[in-house]
Amino acid sequence: MRWMARDRRCTTVVVVALTTMLLAAAGARGEDQPPPPTDVVTDIGRGPDYDPWQRMNRGVFWFNDHLDHYLLEPAATGWDRVMPDRVQSSIANFFANLRFPIVMVNNLLQGKVQPAVIDVGRFMINTTIGVAGFFDPATDWGLPRHNEDFGQTLGWWGVPPGPYLVLPLLGPSNPRDTGGLVVDYGLSVTPFFVGGYALMGAGAINAINARSMVLQQVKQAKQASLDYYVFVRNAYYQRRVALINDQEQNGGSTKDDLYDIDVTNDTR
Amino acid sequence: MTSTSPTIRVNAWLALVLALLAIVVPAPARATDDNTPTALVEQTTSRVLAILADHALSADEKRHRIEDVVYDSVDFETLSRLVLARNWSRFNDDQRVAFMDAFKQHLSMTYGRNVESYHNEKVTILSSRAESQGDWTVKTKILRGGPGDISVDYRARQRDGRWRIIDVIIEGVSLVSNFRSQFQDVVSNGGPDHLITLLREKNAKGEPLKTS
Repeated sequence: MRWMARDRRCTTVVVVALTTMLLAAAGARGEDQPPPPTDVVTDIGRGPDYDPWQRMNRGVFWFNDHLDHYLLEPAATGWDRVMPDRVQSSIANFFANLRFPIVMVNNLLQGKVQPAVIDVGRFMINTTIGVAGFFDPATDWGLPRHNEDFGQTLGWWGVPPGPYLVLPLLGPSNPRDTGGLVVDYGLSVTPFFVGGYALMGAGAINAINARSMVLQQVKQAKQASLDYYVFVRNAYYQRRVALINDQEQNGGSTKDDLYDIDVTNDTR
Repeated sequence: MTSTSPTIRVNAWLALVLALLAIVVPAPARATDDNTPTALVEQTTSRVLAILADHALSADEKRHRIEDVVYDSVDFETLSRLVLARNWSRFNDDQRVAFMDAFKQHLSMTYGRNVESYHNEKVTILSSRAESQGDWTVKTKILRGGPGDISVDYRARQRDGRWRIIDVIIEGVSLVSNFRSQFQDVVSNGGPDHLITLLREKNAKGEPLKTS
């Protein structure tokens, strides 16, 4: 019964994939991608420090940080000790491969047809030759992994992020990207294949494994910052702007005065 | 007849020098190529990588040598001014020097730690582009294999005829913008001295570098 259900869904996925490929082939008239709707970058909202909900955010951030400190980080440290690096990156590859429908659909929703075609190719290669996605031969063959989600799609079309928002368990976000998460969850195929506890188990493995790959970085970020909360808030904001613009524009330079030395001139 | 006047001799020298310059100057390819944002980034990264890859050096020695390279290639005054932005004018001369000192130390302590996590990564320079304020951004990538690659962009500005780095942008996150956000609240609530004190405390608390 379960197997049948799985088969049917597999077929659905393949049909969807083939249809999009055809659509993509029909639409791929060349390299031209539509530019972002606004001329320089998409709406950057009110800057990296726009945080009217700071009191609540700091509370949730404190909660998340403690959860990380007492639960996730120790688990990830143990995991890192047991697992060889190659296994860790294979597991990361596996979960990245499962994000295929999210990445591809969001590429299409942003009119990025060629990247979407690449996503289909990646998924097919990595799922078969890459053994269920544990390996990533597609990257070596010139089909790069893309980072897309519905929050970015909204940003691409000019939706501003809104105020900074820290979500319980999920961490830094904003109203736009939170809405994006909900849509992406709907696009994700995983819940169709595995249910309930298995899904939670997979989520836990994904979280522990992902955390185990950035143990040093997080430690360093905490040491490097005077205010870790502000460090994360600013980094999240900049990173999202950069992702929306596919790294073509760094998040920092969107604020006109960031590099303007005149603002520092003596007014004493 | 036996002696030419000193003036004439000096003039002859000048003429010779000018003549030589005239020969040298029309072929300035090397001289100018060395003073470009891309050359700056290329030299800085290759010098740092050479130090990192040198097995004869201890971690401490590596850190000190890298510090020297970085202090040479980064315009810390511009960096500090951009980080403090409008607050820069609230700092008197002594406070500015104290801040730049503490900030420099803070950066070298936190980022100097990285010397131990170097695993033969290579750096490739991708492209460069002109920016506002006459700056240039040089895009590079630290190669760690496929999706693990880290994009690092350097923003360079020319001051006193020299190009130097004024910002580092890692995966789209600008260091200047990040520190500006962090320091803003501190300075507006506690003033310049409070920020300097906090930085110094942080530096004093920082674990000393492991000497392996």
